[in-house]
Amino acid sequence: MIGLIARRELLEFIRDRRLFWAGGIILLLLAIALLVGWQQQRTLNAERAAAQQLDYDDWVSQAERHPHDAAHQGMHVFKPEAPLAVVDPGITPYVGSTQWLQAHRQADLKFVPAQDATGLQRFGNLSVAWVLQVLGPLLVIVLGFNAFAAEREQGTLRQLMSIGVTPQRLLLGKALALSVALALLLVPAAVVIAFVSLSGLEAGLQYDTLMRLLVLFAGYAIYLSIFIFLTLAVSGRTSTSRIALMALMAVWITGVILAPRAISDLADRWYPTPSRVEFNNSMDQELSKTYADAWQASFGVSTRWGADLPLNRWGEALQVDDQAGYLVADRHFAELWGAFDKQRQLQEWSGLVFPVLALRSFSMGIAGSDFSAHRDFSLAAEQQRRLMQDLISHDLIHHADVLDHQHFTYKADSTLWKQIPPFDYRLPTMEAVLPANIRSLGILSLALLVSFVLALASVPRRA
Amino acid sequence: MNSLFKHLPLVFRHEWRLLLADRSLWLTLGILCAVLAYGLFNGITATEARTTTQVRLQIQEADAAVRNVDLLRRIFEDKANPEPFANPANPANVGSGLAARYAMMPALPLAPLALGQSDMLPDHYKISYRNKTSFLYDGEIENPWNLMSGRLDAVFVVIYLLPLLIIALSYNVLSVEREQGMMKLVLSNPITLSTLLAGKLLARALPLLAGAALLPIVALLLFFPPARQVDALPQMMGWIALVLAYGLFWFALAAFVNALRTSSANNALLLISAWVVLTLIAPVIVNLAVSTANPAPSRVELATQTRLVTIAGLNRYNELLSTDYRYTTNLETLRPKDGKLDIPERLRAFYLMDRDVDAEISSLLDRFDIQVASQQALVDRFGFVSPAIVAFEGITGLSGNGSRRFQHFKEQIDTFHENWRGYFQPKVLGGQAMTESDYADIPRFVWQEESARQRWTDLAKRLFQLLLLAAILSVLAIVFLRRYRVV
Repeated sequence: MIGLIARRELLEFIRDRRLFWAGGIILLLLAIALLVGWQQQRTLNAERAAAQQLDYDDWVSQAERHPHDAAHQGMHVFKPEAPLAVVDPGITPYVGSTQWLQAHRQADLKFVPAQDATGLQRFGNLSVAWVLQVLGPLLVIVLGFNAFAAEREQGTLRQLMSIGVTPQRLLLGKALALSVALALLLVPAAVVIAFVSLSGLEAGLQYDTLMRLLVLFAGYAIYLSIFIFLTLAVSGRTSTSRIALMALMAVWITGVILAPRAISDLADRWYPTPSRVEFNNSMDQELSKTYADAWQASFGVSTRWGADLPLNRWGEALQVDDQAGYLVADRHFAELWGAFDKQRQLQEWSGLVFPVLALRSFSMGIAGSDFSAHRDFSLAAEQQRRLMQDLISHDLIHHADVLDHQHFTYKADSTLWKQIPPFDYRLPTMEAVLPANIRSLGILSLALLVSFVLALASVPRRA
Repeated sequence: MNSLFKHLPLVFRHEWRLLLADRSLWLTLGILCAVLAYGLFNGITATEARTTTQVRLQIQEADAAVRNVDLLRRIFEDKANPEPFANPANPANVGSGLAARYAMMPALPLAPLALGQSDMLPDHYKISYRNKTSFLYDGEIENPWNLMSGRLDAVFVVIYLLPLLIIALSYNVLSVEREQGMMKLVLSNPITLSTLLAGKLLARALPLLAGAALLPIVALLLFFPPARQVDALPQMMGWIALVLAYGLFWFALAAFVNALRTSSANNALLLISAWVVLTLIAPVIVNLAVSTANPAPSRVELATQTRLVTIAGLNRYNELLSTDYRYTTNLETLRPKDGKLDIPERLRAFYLMDRDVDAEISSLLDRFDIQVASQQALVDRFGFVSPAIVAFEGITGLSGNGSRRFQHFKEQIDTFHENWRGYFQPKVLGGQAMTESDYADIPRFVWQEESARQRWTDLAKRLFQLLLLAAILSVLAIVFLRRYRVV
């Protein structure tokens, strides 16, 4: 019986060409998004990898010079884009990609792509994820808004009831029809997406990416299912299809267009992000106190880089100074990133009411384009910077000059440059990122359960 | 025409009475005002936070200036010892950061209405003679997730929500009359269909558009003191005109769809599809097209070039960099003598390196600016495919948070940075010590507002585009109404 209901319903989607038009637009947008994303990523990653290699070669072959000046030249490291950023670029347009590892201070990644774009960027970024998250539910609504309401209007609901179709079967039949219609469109799309995003990857990465894709698709399937049951629930409770459509539009606009912005503002108010000035001031304050203490403890002097400490101990001083600073910087960055994480949690929990928020978090997390991925790279880059600093200070201590103030006449050569290994960053694996994304998946599943119960309670039992 | 003027007030009055009795108008207005109020609250707090930051930086800058001059005075009086890296008499220390000044872009009176690029691009830079890449990218801290979501501000409500409310109130103004069989009855009176439609839409447009256009102005006047100035008046008029023109477009579209004589459900579907295409899909596609047609130059290349120039500098000034460093042990070298100061060769080398980096990469940096400008030109030219883009660009332009004003700010930064360097160069290279009177002469950033003419022509162009689209749709509506079969 369920199959019969589904078949009839599907036939109708095809006959009134709703599936063709609405689905066609979605597929077209998906194709454009995929093509553009793939093409951009390919050139970008190749360019970054090449530049980083070149950078290291230059580092190793640099002339003889004072190590501290070599640190001035430093090294550039470039963040590789995760393969699935093609599907969901996440926050990629809004964070930097390049770190210049130099002496003295931890810095943010530079070059935010959105800064090189016009204000139009803020309307949204065309990506596979955007199409599915924003337009996917709309497709469900367009296909399903009159599922029950039209039967009621045409009087066929009474007939269905009279032949003994149970409400549960009716619901499942209609839900099946919607799922099959979506699958007809999206499963081929998913195959193409998988094919495109896996092509050209090295074997190890290919397996990881495939696993990520499967989990990602599961998340989107849950998301669209939520809207299937929600649509059926509303259609079951409204007297005409016109009212059903209006009500569902209100739900969609509130949930998909309005909520992401409103909740972002709310999250920022709840767990405030400090301004750059506040952040810098509070870090500077703590740093200067910590530096003073460290210098006092190690050298018995109160001013840094002053006359009281002979130049030939500056290598040592550099080490003491750096080590003391690392802890302070770590704490401040952890606090800032902790605030971002709390904001993210609030977004995820809002997903119970507005599923798109939980999905966004989940999708970015699995695709490797969320803040945790960014943070992972930032930390690795900073680790490399510290490694470079520590080796340089060590070398300076070793070659502490005996000529008093001839500190800067010392020149290191390629033996030191070679001691610093090339920056080899590996993207985190699927197993590493999965635990952090279980919560959002759980919230999505819970939302699915709620919408299912809602639909069950709303199936018309009388015509 | 005659009948239009004679009967329009009649239809309007009648419709108005019906609307007042109905819940839907109140509901719609309630939603509009509530979301708008939230958006205004967001806009005002965000703008005030920016202003607070700027004020705080000004205080920091002034404090540092007092401290520097005070220390300098005591050094001259032999009451204090200069430090090797923070010596207020040393122009290399002063120009490279010790007395760094902030260049700031002030918020305009209408800034809270559209936050635009203000959370994305810096509205202040800390200027020193270090090379531009050292300060050009220090943006505000913002959770990237929030940047991705965008802000809920007044312009968002107007661009996205207002059209939906217009659709909700007017998708069925004619079709429902026909579906309920009232049409024949109504038209048995001596009025035309156009009059009927115009009157009905006018009764809806008046409260909705008045609310959307005026509530933000009232809120600004009440809660945002910088808006209470005569200069803000023309900008407010601009806002009102843009909101009205944008609303008019959507009412004209509703009129057109109603004139097609399809069912209410079909009208709703058509209008909502139009909304999805015009406000959601078109801007995203135009953005993609613009950035594909005029892609930003490679940042990787910029990084590589900067590094290569730095390496060249390190090699070129290798001698200066490795000279004998007597300054920390021999404090006398840090003291100015007869207006002269022994500037460490290393600092001189760093100065020259920064200067060289700027000279060599400036053309590359310019390419980024040119690219954003040409992208913006494309948006201006092809934005008319979506009235949402036109209205958005117009309103962000008025709020002073659009790309163009930030670009204008950056151009001024270039000039100021050059002046700054020009001021310090002879002192650093010639070994002149800073004096108290020098401090008073350090270049100061004076913000120059964008040309008013450019702003008003932009506004006029956008208003014209919106009104033209509305006019075309109205004419189409009238043509279709002529062929409308009542029975």
